[in-house]
Amino acid sequence: MQLFSIEYISLVVGFLILLIGIWGILTRKNILKMVIGFSLFDTGTHIIIVALGYVRNKTAPILDQANLQTNTAQKIVDPVPQALVLTAIVIGLGVTALMLVYAMKLHNEKKTLNIEKYNDLKW
Amino acid sequence: MVAPIYIIATLLGVAFALGLFGKKMNSMAGLLSVVALGFASFISLEWLAGFWLYDRAAEYIYTAGFKPPFSINLLMGKDEALFTSLINIAGFFGTVYLWDKLKKIGSNGYVTLMGMILGLNVIIMTRDLFNLFVFLEISSIATAGLIIFSQNLKTIAAGFKYMLATGIISGILLLGIIFMYYFTGTLNIDDFLAVHSLAVKGFGVAVFFVLISIVLELKPFPANGWGLDVYESADSGIAAMISAGTATASFFVMYKLLPLGTPQFHMVLAGIGLATFIGSNLMGLKQTNPNRLLGYSSIGQVGLLVTILGLSEFLGERTTFIAYSILISHFLAKAGLFWISGIVKRSEIKEWAVLRNNRLLLILFGVFIFTLIGFPPFPSFFGKWDLVLNMASNNQYFWIVGILIGSLLEGVYLFRWLGYALKLDNAEMPAFEVKWNKVLPIAVFGAATFVVGYFVSSIHPYAKIINYIPLAVALAFVLIDFLPVYVKNTLAILAMAYYYYYLYPTLSSFGAVFGAIFMVGGIVTLIAGYAFKGQRRGFYPFALMMFAGLIGLIEAKTTLGFFYAWEVMTVGSYFLIIRGKKSMPHALSYMLFSMGGAYLMLAGFAIASVGQFNLDMSTLSHVLVHPTWVFILLAVGFLTKTASLGLHIWLPGAHAEAETDVSPMVSAILLKAGVFGLVTLFLAMGDQLIGGDVSVIYLLGWLGAITAVMGNLMAAFQEDAKRLLAYSSVGVLGYILFGLSLMSHLGWLSAVSISVTHFMFKSLLFLAIGGVVWRVKTKEMYRMGGLIKRMPFSFFSVLIGIIVLAGLPPLSGFSGKWIFYNAVMAKEWYLQGALIFFSGMIAFLYTFRLIHSVFLGQLKDEHREVKEAPFWILVPQYMIIGVLLYFSAIPNSLLKPIGKIISPYFPTGGLEWTGQHAVSTYGYWNGLVIFYIVIAIFVTVLVWLIINNRKAQKVKQFNIVFAAERPFKPETSHYAYNFYAHYRKAIGILVEPKITGWWEGVAEWAHAMGDKFRKIYNGNGQSYLIHIMAFIVIIYLISFGGF
Amino acid sequence: MGTIVTKILYALLTLFIVTNYGLILSGVVRKIGARVGRRHGIRFYQPYIDLIKNYTFRTRITHGIMYYIGPVFRLTGGIGLLLFLPVIYGSPVFDNFSFAGDLTFVLYFQFFGVLGMALGAGESGHPYSALGVSRGLAQTTAMELPLTLGVLALAVQYHTLNIHEIVAAQQGSILHWTLFTNPLAAIAMMLSFLAMMGRSPFDVVLAPQEIPIGPPTEYHSALLGVLQLNRAIFPAAKLILFMNLLFGGATNWGELVIKTFFIYMWSVFVGIAYPRFRVDQSVRWYFGIPLLIGVAAILVVKYF
Repeated sequence: MQLFSIEYISLVVGFLILLIGIWGILTRKNILKMVIGFSLFDTGTHIIIVALGYVRNKTAPILDQANLQTNTAQKIVDPVPQALVLTAIVIGLGVTALMLVYAMKLHNEKKTLNIEKYNDLKW
Repeated sequence: MVAPIYIIATLLGVAFALGLFGKKMNSMAGLLSVVALGFASFISLEWLAGFWLYDRAAEYIYTAGFKPPFSINLLMGKDEALFTSLINIAGFFGTVYLWDKLKKIGSNGYVTLMGMILGLNVIIMTRDLFNLFVFLEISSIATAGLIIFSQNLKTIAAGFKYMLATGIISGILLLGIIFMYYFTGTLNIDDFLAVHSLAVKGFGVAVFFVLISIVLELKPFPANGWGLDVYESADSGIAAMISAGTATASFFVMYKLLPLGTPQFHMVLAGIGLATFIGSNLMGLKQTNPNRLLGYSSIGQVGLLVTILGLSEFLGERTTFIAYSILISHFLAKAGLFWISGIVKRSEIKEWAVLRNNRLLLILFGVFIFTLIGFPPFPSFFGKWDLVLNMASNNQYFWIVGILIGSLLEGVYLFRWLGYALKLDNAEMPAFEVKWNKVLPIAVFGAATFVVGYFVSSIHPYAKIINYIPLAVALAFVLIDFLPVYVKNTLAILAMAYYYYYLYPTLSSFGAVFGAIFMVGGIVTLIAGYAFKGQRRGFYPFALMMFAGLIGLIEAKTTLGFFYAWEVMTVGSYFLIIRGKKSMPHALSYMLFSMGGAYLMLAGFAIASVGQFNLDMSTLSHVLVHPTWVFILLAVGFLTKTASLGLHIWLPGAHAEAETDVSPMVSAILLKAGVFGLVTLFLAMGDQLIGGDVSVIYLLGWLGAITAVMGNLMAAFQEDAKRLLAYSSVGVLGYILFGLSLMSHLGWLSAVSISVTHFMFKSLLFLAIGGVVWRVKTKEMYRMGGLIKRMPFSFFSVLIGIIVLAGLPPLSGFSGKWIFYNAVMAKEWYLQGALIFFSGMIAFLYTFRLIHSVFLGQLKDEHREVKEAPFWILVPQYMIIGVLLYFSAIPNSLLKPIGKIISPYFPTGGLEWTGQHAVSTYGYWNGLVIFYIVIAIFVTVLVWLIINNRKAQKVKQFNIVFAAERPFKPETSHYAYNFYAHYRKAIGILVEPKITGWWEGVAEWAHAMGDKFRKIYNGNGQSYLIHIMAFIVIIYLISFGGF
Repeated sequence: MGTIVTKILYALLTLFIVTNYGLILSGVVRKIGARVGRRHGIRFYQPYIDLIKNYTFRTRITHGIMYYIGPVFRLTGGIGLLLFLPVIYGSPVFDNFSFAGDLTFVLYFQFFGVLGMALGAGESGHPYSALGVSRGLAQTTAMELPLTLGVLALAVQYHTLNIHEIVAAQQGSILHWTLFTNPLAAIAMMLSFLAMMGRSPFDVVLAPQEIPIGPPTEYHSALLGVLQLNRAIFPAAKLILFMNLLFGGATNWGELVIKTFFIYMWSVFVGIAYPRFRVDQSVRWYFGIPLLIGVAAILVVKYF
């Protein structure tokens, strides 16, 4: 993998976003910010997935393009990560949505979004 | 065979279909879900049966018609069949249990539930890593949905923490998966396993991320605060599903992916598991919320399972048996306990006394707790046995120690809880609502523990040869528990008598002696049971269970059989002891000491089995590795039962607070199990040397002597009559230990004959005093007095009992003393011997105190009308007195047969008998002649006195010379309280409760530690995430950083 | 049959001699004690008078069966102890029933009467009786420890627990006495002997001088007579035991009287010289020097 190549840059960017996400989750006290952190974490992961599947000078594995009908395997990037990332995005969406629902319900209970206030259960 | 894909199809289809159901069709929706889950269970069970009964081959299911890596594939093998069965059964019964709750929520609830079960099924069957991720997420989301079925602050907060944690964990899993794909170009687990050897550094890291996230799913200590919160807050029915379902499935994923890890990682895994097992159980000590407590226990048990997986290299082909038996035990017990908790609805374990309102649930509660800890006949017993044995055979002692410590800690809080349920006051508590749909799942799971236990023992090569009939008979008494006491008592006596008749011809050597103590003793003490009225529920199953265990010890052919019987006996005796009104704390400490002792024995047997071809008891005589350790472990294990000094603190309370006829059972009979163990051990292994020059048996001799002195001293200072007798047992067991330690003919002759006479005089005394306590309703001796006037028969019993106990000639107790003197001389253990004789003197103190304070002195006003002890309590006493007098007059009727039994092992230094005249190297003694002479003198003097003192006038109680005063207040003139005040002043410092204090210190320290540790669970979801990240980093460093 | 009758007759003879000896001995010792204290004192035959007086009392009461047979136990213990001892060395006649049990038996049989009596006294309901018993038992346990060590040392030395053999081994010269061959054991045992005889400083059990206390508190008339009889026999039997163990035994009655008299005087001298211990003091005292001497005796015979 070459420095400053698109896949390398996206890999690094993916990791950066991922780390920013983790940083957000671990340091922000506001629940919504934590959920955003989680979203960033997810997105970073997705970018990494795509980056890993990229093959230089190959195109997307969408077979309705005419020039892909022959020798398909040589012309497309690895299709599996692309499929995976779609699934992952969907799941990430579901998880994020559910988290937001939880955030809303928590706010209804105590009228605050500070995660530190929700420590009734401990020890 | 229905194709396994139908499990998925059914659940998925029903889940989608339920979406169409309207609000009014909740019952329909529920029915459909139950049917769907039932069908799913049927499919997996059918497969399981196919694999088990017909040896079917495992079947792959390929989706979309392609083979991997181009498609996702599922596998239905033996393991998958078992695990999907467990999941679907949990789902099925869980849904039945949650019927009302789900009905209120409506079809969305069912959809969520189906989703979770579906997810877990696929997790188990899939061979595709990404698919695994997807369905893990599905079940996580579904679980998060289930958690907020009951919406309140606690569940919502817990659910959010759960979401955060699982979100992060699956993100990391996804990263790992994608990198694994990047390095290998496949997502198929089987392919990974094939390419594993090609592993490069990067691939290793990817695998690490996958495995660590599965580990995190299993809630390892300390990165598991989120899991605990869920267990605590979620509806018990949901918690049951998470504990039984999710944990089981996650475990299976770990099992499936285990080969991906390097051996080094497996050790890390084992370490994580053990830390979780110990840490979680330690922190559970201070917990009082039942569901959170179950959460700690659940996490701990899963930790144990992870340890087992991590140690699979050592366990080899037994891994499956061990892991599965423990897992299934946990599965059944934990689901059952959570379900019970959902019915009881109490947030404090102390309030579980309310459970007594429902006998069935109480029984099931007990069953689950014993299943969880690993007592026979439940499956985990056999799993733990194999686990420890296999670890020992690989020299992995560290793990054995850790696992046993963790189990012991778990026992502490579970048995405390059981004690609360059994004993605490529940008068004020309102009854709880019991619906059949909630009880049914619990009952089924409870029954399953027995069925699976039986099944597991039948496939275990050594467990299957154990004789389960006595235990079965004991359990059968549960079924006839509604009968009145005299019927059950008769049946119990007949059962014991028949079994003794059947067993008698097979008994030989020491088995015959101890068999007689256990069986005849059991029958004699059972006779006293006729004194009880009503049904006396719950007594007979456990009494017979204890005797079944005792018999099992004698019958045992293998070390497993011995250990099994030992544990059965412990269970039975625990329930007998806890029957006493104030027995709760004592039963707990009895149980804990028993468990501790049993674990030492387990470790001892395990080390003894190393390198042996079988588990026969005879292998103890040629232990190949660490024989000294084996000896010490087993000896200390037995000493917990004989209550030697240091390990005795459980005894006084346990024996004193027990019921009238239970005290003799546990004091006069049960303690002999420890003696039998020591006899067996000493004969098989002989003496062992520590570091090549200190003899263990020599040390035990000192221990016995000191125990005798201290036990007797403590007895002398008791105010409670039964406690006095209990301490006296400590002392007498000290004599016996000392006698056995002499390792000579005479030493053993005295020890074994004292074992027999101790059974008799201690039964006699406990029954007699028990009869008195029965009437006067107090155990404090100074509150009694002068009862000879009211209870002459009991007085006579006690008189004979104490004369034998004190070893005064001419009764048979003296033979033991006489033999001791000779044995001590021969062995040259003079100082220890002097201690033994000194303790004999102290016995005079407490025996006199006992008889004087109770029967002599001043009769209290409130006892003027008190009646003689119940007839049926007197009957066994006079049977025993008859035998004692016979043994006194004809001592060789007892000593000669015992001598014959000892001779093969210690041929020299025995007694020469001429009639009743016994001659040893040092002296001689003729019991019969002494008996005659003493009686002759006595009668002569009596006649002389009567001649001189005819027609003595009987005077009233207060007619005494009392400073010209007639003391009409018996309380002030009954000299009884602190009877040996001066003696206490002189040497009371010896009996300061230092040892009790030490053990209390240990307990307090453990609790404080647990309390300290659990403070990391500060309730902040973010902290839990930090724990998770830190956990990953630390484990990474340990795995790769060469930590 | 004949031998049994002879045995019994000789036993009765022994009993007769020892009873009279015991009565006179106690009278004489009281007389000596009085004279040392510059008092006139009793007549030496006063114990006979007391005995007769008590047997002829007409007030006869009882507190119950145990109370009644307590003294029987006591006297049975005293007579039994005497008859189970070989009294005169080398005389089959005065060997009595010593064939029935050895030294161990004799040591344990001592307590038969003591405990029986304690029970009887207990039934009287008088707190002083119980108090006396409690003191007596406590002191006995402490006293017994040096004694046991001494006896064990003797048994090791002579390699037997048979009293005949122990006496036999001491014959020939005064230097063969255990007192000289095993002085540590002898000292330990003689210290225990002090409490066994129940004289000052170990007499708080009965506290005979001032208030009535101790087991006999409630006894009177013939019951007390039986106890008094025992008070003559029992100490004499114990003296004979110590004489046999430590002082070479006796080959005739004359030797017996002289030896036992001097052994008894040991406790009398100490008693007159030292004031009374409380029970806790005496217990501690026995756990001090006498115990150490006993242990030393054991160590000496074991390792030298």
